[in-house]
Amino acid sequence: MLKTTLTIAAMTLATTVSAADTPISGTVESKCSIFTDIQGVYGNPNPYELSTTPADGGKQPIIRYDVASADFYTAKISYPTSFSSSPSLSDTVTWTGDVEVSSVSDTNMSGYEAAKVQYDNVTEFDLTIAGTTWFKITSNAQYGYQKSFPAGNYTAIVTAECIAN
Amino acid sequence: MRFIIALLAFANSAYAHEMTPTYFDIKPSFVDGISVIEMSFWNRRQDVTYYEIDVFDSEWNSISFAASNKLLYVEYLNKKNFDIYVKDNDKDDIYYICTVSKILKSSQTSTGIASRICSKVNEDD
Repeated sequence: MLKTTLTIAAMTLATTVSAADTPISGTVESKCSIFTDIQGVYGNPNPYELSTTPADGGKQPIIRYDVASADFYTAKISYPTSFSSSPSLSDTVTWTGDVEVSSVSDTNMSGYEAAKVQYDNVTEFDLTIAGTTWFKITSNAQYGYQKSFPAGNYTAIVTAECIAN
Repeated sequence: MRFIIALLAFANSAYAHEMTPTYFDIKPSFVDGISVIEMSFWNRRQDVTYYEIDVFDSEWNSISFAASNKLLYVEYLNKKNFDIYVKDNDKDDIYYICTVSKILKSSQTSTGIASRICSKVNEDD
């Protein structure tokens, strides 16, 4: 009898616990997240050239920025101006590139591309609207005066920055 | 000769780097003459586990600071709270705190995007 009573008491207690309100609370902070959505690949359309342009056999890196609140951050994206690793190179490499808005989550962001500021290898976008923006980077490297790149692995770094306004 | 070279690998994968607060406060610490800034970091980059902390003034000049580790080790999908200690003499100059991803040389073929997030001092205080 005692055993049965204890069992019923335990079950009641268990039911009571499971029926209790369990609040879940959270806060949304203004923040910026940088996502590396697609990493790029260099194509080698000519012996002296490496390019991320799809027509040249490359793949353009795509970086995604999420901002939780409007007008809190500036995105600064730099295309590479040197290799982070490569075979030994005896001649100069000429770097060119571009950063453009690839896609947006809010139609009001359509003005980002026209309002971008470019200097050196850096492109700045003022993230004036909350939401997600995807940026596409083009990178091109040409070796000497049409000199063949030595065979080997080449890597270069795109820098994506999110700076509070 | 036609070959394709990986600039940045792990195609079609999405990894992120986050730091809060956007606008940080500088508070007195438990040591006289030293102030502290409390920050929080969240690593969603599977390809990176080391992040370097930097402190700058409004002209992007480096400011000396102390932290338990200036190079944060944060596992994938982990959050880390960290404190930055600065001299009271420098606290009025502090403007930006940044974390930048550090790519290991051994994994350079598989990572090619360096991410950097900078928070700014809360100027309302």
